[in-house]
Amino acid sequence: MNTELINANYEKDAKPYWDHRFQRRAIKLLPGDFYATNQDEVIVTVLGSCISVCLFDTVIKAGGMNHFMLPKSKAASESSTSSLVMQDSQIARYGNVAMELLINELIKLGGSRMNMVAKIFGGGQVTSSSIDVGMKNIEFAREYLKLEDMPVIKSDVGGLNPRKIYYIPLLNEVYVKLIQRINNNTIFSRERDYELQLESKTTDDNIFFLEGND
Amino acid sequence: MAKKILFVDDSASMRQVLQLSMKGAGYEVETATDGKLGLEMTLKQRYDAIVSDVNMPNMNGIEMLKNIKAGTLNKFTPVVMLTTESGDDMKQQGKAAGAKVWIVKPFKPEQLLMVLKKLIG
Repeated sequence: MNTELINANYEKDAKPYWDHRFQRRAIKLLPGDFYATNQDEVIVTVLGSCISVCLFDTVIKAGGMNHFMLPKSKAASESSTSSLVMQDSQIARYGNVAMELLINELIKLGGSRMNMVAKIFGGGQVTSSSIDVGMKNIEFAREYLKLEDMPVIKSDVGGLNPRKIYYIPLLNEVYVKLIQRINNNTIFSRERDYELQLESKTTDDNIFFLEGND
Repeated sequence: MAKKILFVDDSASMRQVLQLSMKGAGYEVETATDGKLGLEMTLKQRYDAIVSDVNMPNMNGIEMLKNIKAGTLNKFTPVVMLTTESGDDMKQQGKAAGAKVWIVKPFKPEQLLMVLKKLIG
């Protein structure tokens, strides 16, 4: 398997940089981003109430990471089913897509769903208003991975502190650094911007009728 | 008689979610986990509509669609592609292969139901 990196979605403006501590090329993810690789690199992100799932294909030895959250549920759209994945409201579909994009990247690198294992990080209760959000994100990730039959071999979730995550896909190793809650407005404002972006998507501009093919 | 739909997607959660909403709308739904299995099913039976993912193992949705259109039983069955791919080149490939509608994920199940209603009632 020597497929080069094919496609990914990460902070477009930020060039990959050399991380001296890990002695590897580093790729930084922002909320909504994902990246998968079979090269010896390190993927870095900072999580407040957002979630990152690190997926690793045990056969092709490639891995990737995403960074996402579910939009806040409005009281009216609370579904009767207790399952987050099954809710057809606003809530689950962004999580589904974040996971699917990452899985597809690994499949493009030659991977297979059957060989994927997962690690889950984030979902912190980092501000007084984000209790619900973090918990929901954790719950969603666990439930999704269970449905897809991908074992969760490690998780570090919840708690009061934001986390900085370093993932080395080639080794399937993760280093977690807890961050002080004070003086970290950047994390919160990034996550809030991302959340607002999710909530504002309500039109049918994702449907395309392909005319004239009869 | 209920209209019969074939839904092809490699994601178990996607299959579960959409099966539930399509059945709720009164459709009969059969599922396949990749393009190869989906194609096999279309060779045995006529469907009123086919809804398919694009990126799947073994055979992707576009290849499956080309093969379906080359056959006879489901040659004229309307096909909806449901995918994370939003690029124009991919949409063109879908159109050339004979897809009627291209829906980019994330989407709401109601959006798919609206499209199906338009296509097959």
